[in-house]
Amino acid sequence: MKKLMTMLAATTCLAGPALADDERIVVGFATAQTGFMQGYDKPAEDAAMIRIKEINEAGGLLGKQIEVVTADTKTDMAEGAKAGLSVVDQGADLVVVSCDYDFGAPAALAAESLGVISFFICAESVKAGIQGVGPNSFSASVLAAVQGATMAEWSYKQKNARTYYRLLDTWTEYNKGICDGFDWMLPQLPEAKLVGEDTFLNEDASIAAQISRIKALPEEPDAIMLCSMMPGFVSAVKQIRAAGINSMLLNGSGADGSYWMSAVPDLSNFFVPAQGSVFGDDPNPDVNAFVKKYEETTGAPPATQYTFPGYVMIDVWAKAVERAGTTETAAVVAELEKMNAEPTLFGPRTFTPELHHQNKAEYRIIGTENGKPAVVDSWTISEPIPLEALMK
Amino acid sequence: MSALQIMFDALSLGSLYALGALGIALIFGVMRLVNFAHGDVIAFCVFALLWPSVDAIAIVFAGNLPWFLLIPFVLVMGAGLSVLCEFVVFRRFRNTNPATMMIASFALGFVIRYFLLMLFSSRPKSISLLPELSQPVTVLGARIPLLQLITILVTVGVLVGLTVFLRRTRFGLEMRAAAENFTMARMLGVRANRVIMVAFALSGALAGAIALILGSQTGTANIVMGANVMLMAFIATVIGGMGSLAGAVLAGFLLGASATLLQALLPPEARAFRDAFVYGAVILVLIFRPQGILSARGMKERV
Repeated sequence: MKKLMTMLAATTCLAGPALADDERIVVGFATAQTGFMQGYDKPAEDAAMIRIKEINEAGGLLGKQIEVVTADTKTDMAEGAKAGLSVVDQGADLVVVSCDYDFGAPAALAAESLGVISFFICAESVKAGIQGVGPNSFSASVLAAVQGATMAEWSYKQKNARTYYRLLDTWTEYNKGICDGFDWMLPQLPEAKLVGEDTFLNEDASIAAQISRIKALPEEPDAIMLCSMMPGFVSAVKQIRAAGINSMLLNGSGADGSYWMSAVPDLSNFFVPAQGSVFGDDPNPDVNAFVKKYEETTGAPPATQYTFPGYVMIDVWAKAVERAGTTETAAVVAELEKMNAEPTLFGPRTFTPELHHQNKAEYRIIGTENGKPAVVDSWTISEPIPLEALMK
Repeated sequence: MSALQIMFDALSLGSLYALGALGIALIFGVMRLVNFAHGDVIAFCVFALLWPSVDAIAIVFAGNLPWFLLIPFVLVMGAGLSVLCEFVVFRRFRNTNPATMMIASFALGFVIRYFLLMLFSSRPKSISLLPELSQPVTVLGARIPLLQLITILVTVGVLVGLTVFLRRTRFGLEMRAAAENFTMARMLGVRANRVIMVAFALSGALAGAIALILGSQTGTANIVMGANVMLMAFIATVIGGMGSLAGAVLAGFLLGASATLLQALLPPEARAFRDAFVYGAVILVLIFRPQGILSARGMKERV
C-alpha cells in the first residue's frame, strides 16, 4: 500500500503546469471578432498577423514559430474577461486585447491577475496600461492627448492659426483625451487665444445651438479643435460646413481615413494626425510598402491608421523577447521599459516604468482639400506630455 | 446669439421630436400600444437606401435616386415595414394587456436592429443624402441651413394634413372613434383592422420622414440612430398627454426648444449636463400634471 502511494505521489510530479510551455511561443488575441469593436480590432489584428508571419518566415522568435490563439470578446465586457482567461489557458505568452480601454480592460485585467503581459492593440487612453490595469500592461498606440497637442502646435507654427475654438464631444475618454492634450499645449503657444468652447453629445441629431454660438463670435476662429470620433464627428463636420463656417477643422486620429468622406462632399481645410498614411503617399517608402502588403493580404488597403499599432505591437514585443531571451513576463516587461525612442516602422516608441504608452510621437498631418486627403506635413510635439497633464 | 437664431434652432429640433412624437402617438391613440420598435423603423428606412454590405464604405443604391423618387421611396419603405409589423406581430397581440404589447414591440425592435446588424455590421456608414439641402439660407436675418427650414415646413405641413385628414374625412372620423373607444367603434361598424393598418402606415411614413431628415443632417447611417429620437418622442407623448396628438406635437416642440435653449444659455461647465436639466423639467411636468399637458378626452382618472 505504502509503495503504491509513493509511486502515485511520484507520478504526480510529472504532470507539469499547463501554462508555462517552453516549447511554444503563443500570442493570444482576446479581441472582438463580433460586435462593433470588431471594426476596430480586426484591422489591427490583420496588421499584427502580417508581422507575425514576417517573423516566422525569418526563422521565428527565439528559434520557435509564433503560434496564434484567439478568443472572441463579442464586444461584451463580461465575455472579455472570459476571453482573456481562455487565451492564457491556451498557453498565451502575450495577451492582446481590444482597441479601447473600456472594452479591452476585462481581458487585460484577467491576464494581469495571471501574471501575463498584455497589450492593448490600439487603445489611446492613458488608462490602457499601468494606470488602469497594472504593471504588466501596455498599449501599442499613441495617447489621444498627443493628437490634440500635435494639431494645436502644428496649426500654430505651420499655418499661423492664432484664434482657436474648442468643441468637445463628451461621449468617450478618447475625445476628452484629445482636448486635454490641446488644453495643455495651447497656453505654451504665446499668441494663441481660445475664443470660445462648447460641448455636444456624439448622438445629438443637431448641433445647431453650438454652431450658432460659433457664428455669434465677432470673427470666425482660425481653427476649430474638434475632439470627437465616429459617428458624431461626421455629423458635426457636415453641419459646421453647411452653416458656412470655413475655419480650419482639426481632429484626432479617430477622423483618419476617407471611408466617411462621402457624407461631406468636397471637404476642405480639414486636418488630422496619423501614425502613417493609408493613402500610399507616406514620405517613408516602407510604410507605403506595408500598405501594399496589407492590401494584398486582406484584399483592401487599411481603412484607417489604426491598423498600424497592431504591427508595432508585435514588433516591439518580439524585440523585447529576443533581448530578454525568454517570454517570461517580468523579463520582457523590463526590456520594454528600457526602450527609449526605439525605431519602428511608424516612428520611435518609448516605454518607461511610469508610462507604458506614448506621450510623444511623430505624426503625419493628413490634410483634405476638395474631398481628397493627402499627407501635407510631419510633426512631433516639442516635448512629451507630462503625466500630471494626462491624468487630469 | 440673436433670439431669432435661437428660435429657429429650437423650432427645427422641436419639429424633429414632434414628428417622432406623432408617430408614437398615432399608434398609441388607436391601440394603446407604445411602439418601441419605432426607432428601429427609422434606422431601417435609412439603410433601405444602401445595398447590404459589411464594408466600412456604404454602397449607395436607392440613395442615388433623384429627390422626387427618393422621398416617396423612403416613405413607402417606412409604411411598408410598419404595416408588415402590424400583420406579423401586433395583430396577434390585439387582445392582450398593454404591458405584453409593449414587450412585444421591444422584441420586434431588437429583431429589426439585429437584422440590420447582420446585413450592414455595426460600424456607422457615411452617406450623402440630399446634399442640396446643406446650403444655408437667410430668413429674417437668421442664418439657417435649408434642411432645418424644410424640417419645420414639413412638420407644419404634416400637422395640417393630419388634422384635415382626421377631422374632415370619414377615415379620420373612424380613427378618432377607434381611439376613443375601440369596442364601441367596432360595434358601430368601424373596420378595426383597416383603421389600425392605416395608423401603422402613417406612423411608418413619419418614421421615413424622420429618417430622411436625420440621414441628410448627420450624413451617417447607424443602426442605433433612431434610438435618441425614439426616446424623446416617447417622452413627448407621455408629457403631452397619452392619446392626444396635439399634446404629443406640442410636447415635442417644447422638448426641442428646452434642449436648444439650455445649450445656448447654460454656462460652459454645465452644458455637458444639459440633458439632465431637460429630464428634470420632464419630471416636474409629470409631478404637477401627471395626465399630461393636453390630455385626450376619456384619459383623465375619474374617481
